[in-house]
Amino acid sequence: MASAPPPSTGRELLSPPTDGISNLRFSNHSDHLLVSSWDKSVRLYDATANALRGEFMHGGAVLDCCFHDDTSGFSASADHTVRRLVFNYNREDVLGRHDGPVRCIEYSYATGQVITGSWDKTLKCWDPRSSSGQDRSLVGTYTQPERVYSMSLVGNRLVVATAGRHVNVYDLRNMSQPEQRRESSLKYQTRCVRCYPNGTGYALSSVEGRVAMEFFDLSETGQSKKYAFKCHRKSEAGRDIVYPVNAIAFHPIYGTFATGGCDGYVNVWDGNNKKRLYQYTKYPTSIAALSFSRDGRLLAVASSYTYEEGDKTHEPDAIFVRSVNEVEVKPKPKMLPNPAS
Amino acid sequence: METTCGSLLLELQKIWDEVGEADNDRDIMLFELEQECLDAYRRKVDHANRSRAQLRQTVADAEAQLADISAALGDRPTHIKKSSGSLKQELETIMPQLEDMREKRNERMSQFSEVLKQINSISMELAGSTETSFVEISVDESDLSIKKLDDLRTQLLLLQKEKDERINQLLHLLNIANALCLVLGMDFKSTICSVHPSLDNTCERKSISADTIQGLSTIISRLKNVKLQRMQRLQDLAMTMVELWTLMDTPVEEQQMFQNVTLTIAAAENELTEPNSLSLEIINDAEAEVLRLQEMKTSKIKEVLLKKRLILEEICLGSHMVVEGQSIKDLSIESIESGAISASYLLEELEAQISKVKEEAFSRKEILEKVHKWLVACEEECWLEEYNRDDNRYNAGRGAHLMLKRAEKARVLVNKIPGMVDTLKSKLKAWEKERNTEFLYDGVGLISMIDQYTEIKRLKEQERQIQKDHKKLQGQLMAEQEAIYGSKPSPSKSGAKSLRPSTGGAASKRFSLGGAALQTALDKATPSSRSLHKKNPVTRQTLNSNHHHTGLAALSSGKKNVHNGAVKQHSSNASVSHHSGSARLRKALSPLSSLCSNVILQQEEQNMKNAVLQDAESGGYKTPAAATPTKRYYSANDENRTPKTMPIPVPATPPTASSAMRTAKTPFTPSVHASEQIEYSFEERRAGFAVARTLSLVDV
Repeated sequence: MASAPPPSTGRELLSPPTDGISNLRFSNHSDHLLVSSWDKSVRLYDATANALRGEFMHGGAVLDCCFHDDTSGFSASADHTVRRLVFNYNREDVLGRHDGPVRCIEYSYATGQVITGSWDKTLKCWDPRSSSGQDRSLVGTYTQPERVYSMSLVGNRLVVATAGRHVNVYDLRNMSQPEQRRESSLKYQTRCVRCYPNGTGYALSSVEGRVAMEFFDLSETGQSKKYAFKCHRKSEAGRDIVYPVNAIAFHPIYGTFATGGCDGYVNVWDGNNKKRLYQYTKYPTSIAALSFSRDGRLLAVASSYTYEEGDKTHEPDAIFVRSVNEVEVKPKPKMLPNPAS
Repeated sequence: METTCGSLLLELQKIWDEVGEADNDRDIMLFELEQECLDAYRRKVDHANRSRAQLRQTVADAEAQLADISAALGDRPTHIKKSSGSLKQELETIMPQLEDMREKRNERMSQFSEVLKQINSISMELAGSTETSFVEISVDESDLSIKKLDDLRTQLLLLQKEKDERINQLLHLLNIANALCLVLGMDFKSTICSVHPSLDNTCERKSISADTIQGLSTIISRLKNVKLQRMQRLQDLAMTMVELWTLMDTPVEEQQMFQNVTLTIAAAENELTEPNSLSLEIINDAEAEVLRLQEMKTSKIKEVLLKKRLILEEICLGSHMVVEGQSIKDLSIESIESGAISASYLLEELEAQISKVKEEAFSRKEILEKVHKWLVACEEECWLEEYNRDDNRYNAGRGAHLMLKRAEKARVLVNKIPGMVDTLKSKLKAWEKERNTEFLYDGVGLISMIDQYTEIKRLKEQERQIQKDHKKLQGQLMAEQEAIYGSKPSPSKSGAKSLRPSTGGAASKRFSLGGAALQTALDKATPSSRSLHKKNPVTRQTLNSNHHHTGLAALSSGKKNVHNGAVKQHSSNASVSHHSGSARLRKALSPLSSLCSNVILQQEEQNMKNAVLQDAESGGYKTPAAATPTKRYYSANDENRTPKTMPIPVPATPPTASSAMRTAKTPFTPSVHASEQIEYSFEERRAGFAVARTLSLVDV
């Protein structure tokens, strides 16, 4: 690294997926990176060593993946299956099945359950510890108002965003019905939802270059804090071109967050002070997914065409791992009010 | 001789005669002659004498040797007749004898050395040195008797026997060691080579020294010890394993893998002969399995704990008890994981708690039923009051007859309330006396709830009385006026009633947060706000606060509201804004609930924006431009839009090092068309999910 300055986009990982990247996530225990892709694969990278550590092939495109612990993970596939992947033995087994493509998957450390959301308008909870077989591992099925598009977990809270701009907030300890049923504050289709690391609310992005910051607290004071802002837009000849915001990733330490859009930009925001902290140089194509490593020192960026304009020729899919400078993510304290005034 | 000597003398005499020698000389000559002859004789005799002595010596020597040999051989000495003849004869007889004896002796000697050699080698082996270089064995020549030989032979036999025994012992030990090594999974060769390298099978001569045997037996005892230890360890492991299996109903396939381990449970030490059945690997495997099972067990216990906790909470919820926060905190998973509390202890504790709570719940059941009835009655009372205040209640609208019926029932029920409260109170008092604790309903003393209720009811009654008096007074006044003017004003125009807000339908009874202040003000302005207050004791402690009126909003509830909060909130919001006659708009970056007043301006701006939007859409993207801009706007507003998110221009933020978020309102060109009937995400389009769905819709 000393010989040449690192490219401003960060280090590109070798042997990337051969088709669109649907999601990537850093492990909670190491700098391992799990990547799911439309090329029907789930890949495990060692981000620091820049090496491919494992690869799993599925029957259909993989729409989401997550870690269980450092040695195993889960994947959600368009072939309706939910799979468990064991990296050491390169083994995989089917945890269960939805009636439609499975869009998102989360593992809850609090309950030890895997939660999947599907386009079959259901949420399912699975117990990965029970021996394989759908009957045994399925904990429950919860009907959603629409197809599930995005999901996020913090503590015992689960936020589910679906088509039709529905947002359901669940308490994992009582999944029988949503704790809160909400409608998205944004008026266009929800792209991504991510909970604040401090568990007080969630950020929600839409296809129309906008991010809403929401709070769980239903009291008037709690709700008074919520707001929405625009991002990932380009002014061209007096008109704004608006890009979908595909990805949100919160910094695990500072609580600031990065957003990635179809404009190929990654922006870092300070939600409390309502400031943009940083904009990274443009990536070759849309940002499909973002993930901070466990200590927040690395940011994985999936630069991969997200099919927003249908089938067309596009830049090759790539994963960049950039080391994060503290200046880029540390919240800047609000300017102190001038004592003189 | 005589002749020769005499003739010689005669010849000499003749010579002398001729020579004429003197007689004297003749005598001297003759004497000399005689002397010389004598000397010659003497010499011969001496010589003969000497050889005789030599011969005698030789014979004597031979005899002595003969005697020696026969003595050494242990034979009886052969007596030789000395007087048998001349010396030479004697010698001739003795020499062959001597030769015989010597041969005999040599033969014996070789026998001895042979035996001795064997003895030596065996004793060397027994002593532990296997070197083949032998020390030259010296045979004691003085004793070569048969007896000695026999002695030596028996000694040799003994030694040979001992050697055989040793070898047998060694083989036996080696067998045992081999069996042990097999069972323990150790390398037999290296084990025995540590005792003595020759014990290896490849070696022809095995060391049989006492040391070796000693070493071997210590190794065996050591191995036996190890075996015993391992066996105990394995048996322990197997026991725990089986326990865990039965505990967790482990499937047989999983058990089969460790069949060999569990088989050892009942086995005695000598029954364990299967190779590798006690090897370190197996023990390690078993250990790992037990660890895994234990981990599984703790995780299962955790699950059970969680379930139990849920049960506990459910019971508490069902009987309106407050779960003791302390115990719940103690029972957290973290404390189990940190090992502060053992899981089984927790489980017991939880069980105890559950049974306690169950018992309590049972004891509360009767009272709770009564409370429930009372609450239902109170609710009906509220409804009735509301209903009574509705001027239009006798209008023959839809469902009016149902309302009438309900009101009828409610009146009956309301009349029963005082009785209910009394019985409830007495029951409560009995219960509290019995248990010596306050009866808590969702953490609030039920008695105090009832008291509050009765107090409020009393106040209400008072008020009603006052109103009645007031009416009466008015009636009197009217009567007086009538007396004066002969006319009677309609009693329906009394001021109290006209102040009340029209509470048209059920929906308008609930107000969202946005309209809170307004509604509060209205409520306060009317005396009828009391009737709403009345609800407080009944419905407090419920979680949802959508249903709203005065300062007690957070506590007052709409249980019914939980399920349809979002929708109702919107409708009520709309009604409120209608009510107040001003739209509430959000400033960007300002709280969503903060309101702006200029609705007309907003409308205009929206229209303008939509025109731009329409332009952009038709230019940049191919959109079905079916709807007119205004229509589109309204449809969007109706379907998708929450009134709260109406954007608006933003005040400029002070310039800072980092750029402020862009929150200004700008026209945009969305890359997704909101006007489609069913929206699809990029992924759904890509996966062909959208197509499949529309097709199936067509099919239907």
